[in-house]
Amino acid sequence: MKINQKIFLQLGIFIIFFGLMGILINNLTVNLARTGIGFNFSWLFKPASFALAEHPLPFTSSDSYAWALFIGWLNSLKVIVSSLILATLLGALIGFARAGKNSLLGFISAAYITIIRQTPLLLQLMFWYFVGFLGLKDNMFIQLKNIFSVSNQGIEFSGLTFSSEFLALLLGLSIFTSAFIAEVIRGGILSVSRGQWEAFRSLGLSERKGFIRIILPQALPAIIPGLTSQYLNLAKNSTLAIAVGYSDIYAINDTIINQTGRAIECFIVLLVSFLLLNLLITNTMEIFNKLILKSRKYS
Amino acid sequence: MSKINIYSLIIHFKNLKKTLFSNLFNTTISFLIIVLISVALSNIFVWLIFNANWKVVTSNLPLYAFGSFPANARWRPATWIISLLLLSIFTLCGPKWKWLQKNLLVAWIGTIPLGLYLLYGGFGLSPIMSRHWGGLTLTILLTVCSSILSLPFGIILALCRQSSLPLIKKLSSTYIDVMRSVPLIAVLFFGQLLIPLFLPIGIEIDRVWRAIFAFTLFVSAYIAEDIRGGLQSIPYTQIEAAKSLGLNQYQIIQFVLIPQALRIALPALTNQSIGLFQNTSLMAILGLVELLGVGRSILANPEFIGQYIEVYVWLASVYWMACTIMAILARHLEQRMSINQAYF
Repeated sequence: MKINQKIFLQLGIFIIFFGLMGILINNLTVNLARTGIGFNFSWLFKPASFALAEHPLPFTSSDSYAWALFIGWLNSLKVIVSSLILATLLGALIGFARAGKNSLLGFISAAYITIIRQTPLLLQLMFWYFVGFLGLKDNMFIQLKNIFSVSNQGIEFSGLTFSSEFLALLLGLSIFTSAFIAEVIRGGILSVSRGQWEAFRSLGLSERKGFIRIILPQALPAIIPGLTSQYLNLAKNSTLAIAVGYSDIYAINDTIINQTGRAIECFIVLLVSFLLLNLLITNTMEIFNKLILKSRKYS
Repeated sequence: MSKINIYSLIIHFKNLKKTLFSNLFNTTISFLIIVLISVALSNIFVWLIFNANWKVVTSNLPLYAFGSFPANARWRPATWIISLLLLSIFTLCGPKWKWLQKNLLVAWIGTIPLGLYLLYGGFGLSPIMSRHWGGLTLTILLTVCSSILSLPFGIILALCRQSSLPLIKKLSSTYIDVMRSVPLIAVLFFGQLLIPLFLPIGIEIDRVWRAIFAFTLFVSAYIAEDIRGGLQSIPYTQIEAAKSLGLNQYQIIQFVLIPQALRIALPALTNQSIGLFQNTSLMAILGLVELLGVGRSILANPEFIGQYIEVYVWLASVYWMACTIMAILARHLEQRMSINQAYF
C-alpha cells in the first residue's frame, strides 16, 4: 500500500470508530438524563447502609460505599490467593499422578480431570455450597476438643472461623482450577525429553531425587506461563462468588447497583479493580518466572 | 484370533503387574486406590438406585429440555434438538459417500436458521416470544449463535492485530486485552443492564439476543488470540510464495493465511466453544432460564425443596454428556482436516 492510502484508511477508521463512540455516548447521556441519575462518583463517599457478613477489616453500615468496595476487593483477593495455593497443591498432586507410571492412579486422575473440566463451574460451586455445606444438618457437628468444628455455619479452627460461603467458593474454585493446573503440569513434565530421565537413572540418582533435581527444574519454565493464565482464569472465575452469597467485589458492585442504580459507574469500578488484580497476579508471576530463570542460569 | 487375544491379555496383565505392583510404595498405593474405588463406587451405586428420589428429574423432563415453551409447540424445539443429534451421529458414523460428506457442512450451518425458525415461529407456525425459551434448547441456542457470530469477528480482530497500520493494531489489541482481563459475568452484566442504556430511545433488543451479543463480544477476543497464534505459526515463506504468484494482499489473506490459521487453531477453537457451552450457565444468575436456571427454579418449587443432589447430579451429567459429544465431534473434525492435509 502507498503511504497516502495508509493514512486515508486510518483516518477513515478513526472517524468511523469515534463517530460510533460519540453516538453511543450521546445515547447514554440522553438515557441517563431521562432516568434522572446522571453520571458522577460523589455517591462513593455516602454511607453504604448495608451490612457485610464477611469483612477482613472493620466495616459497619455507616461506612462509605468506597470502603465497602475496598472490603469487597480484599475479600476477592483473600479467596483468590487462598484458592490459588490450594489449587496449585491439588493440581500438582493430580498432575504428578497423571504423568506417573502407576496406571490405576493415572486412570483415577484422568477421570477426575474429565469430570471437573466437562461440567460448568457455576454448577460445581452451587453443589459445594448447597450440598456440601448447607446440606450439613445443625446437629451434625463434628467437634474435636473445641479446636475444630464443622457445621453448616462453616468451619471453626482454634478461634479462626471460615464461613461456609467462603469455604464453598474456596473448595469449588480450587477443585475446578486444579484440574486445569494438573494438565499444565503434566504437559510440562512430558515436555522434558525421555533422555533426561534415562540420564539421571544411569547416573544412579533415585527416582525421587532425580525427579526433584533434574526433571522438575526443566519442566518449570514450560509450566509457569500456563500456570499464570490459569491463575488469571481463577481470578476471573472468583466473581461467581455471587452464586453462593460471598461478598466479593462483583457481589458488592451488584448490591450497590441495586441500591443506587448507578450501573455505569459501578461497571467502571469493576473494570478498574479487575485490571488491578490482573496486574498484581501477572507481576508476581513475572517476578517468580525471573527467579526461576535466574536460578537455572547459575546452577 | 482368540489365541492372539489371550496372548495380548497376558502381556497386558504382565504390564499391569509392572506398573501397579513394581515396589512396596506402588503396591500400597494401588491397593489403597482399589479399596477406595470399590467403597466409593458401591456407595454411589446404592445411592443412585435406592436412596435418590429421581421424581424431581423424571416428572420435569420437558422443563429441562424446553423451559416454559408452550406445551402444544414443544415438538418444535424437540425437532431441532433431535435433528442436531441425528446430524452428529451421521457425521460420526454415517456412510462415507462423497456428496454426503461435502454437504454435511451445509447441513450443520443450516441447523441455525432452522432452529431460529422453529423457535420464533412465523411463516405458518405460531410466533413464540423469546422469554418462553428455556432449558437445554436455550443453552444450545446461546452456544451455537454466539460461536458462529464470534468466529468472523475473531478473525477480523486477529487480522487487525497483525496489521501494519498502527491505529488499527492499537485499537484491536486494546479491545482484546481489556476483554481478556475482565470476568465473563461482568460482560454479561454489561449486556443485560448497560446495552439498553447505549441504544437510542425506542430501540430494544430482547434479553436472549443481548446475551448472545455479550457472549460474542467476550468470546471473539479469545478466538482472536487463538487465530493469531495460528497466523504467527505460518512461515513467512508462504506469504512470499503467494506474492511471487502475483496474489494481492486480500487474496493472500483469503486463500493462504486464513485457511491455514484456522486449521492450526482448530483444537483451540473447539475448546472455546465447549467452554462457551459451559459458560452459558452463567445466564442463570442474570435471569435467563437456561438449563441451570431451570434447575434452580425447580429447586425453588416447594414440592422438590432440598433435593439438591439429585438435580445437580442430573444437570452435571447432562452438561458432561453434551461436552463429551462436542469434544468427540471436534476430534472427528480435526482428523478430517489432517487427512485433507495429506493430499498436499
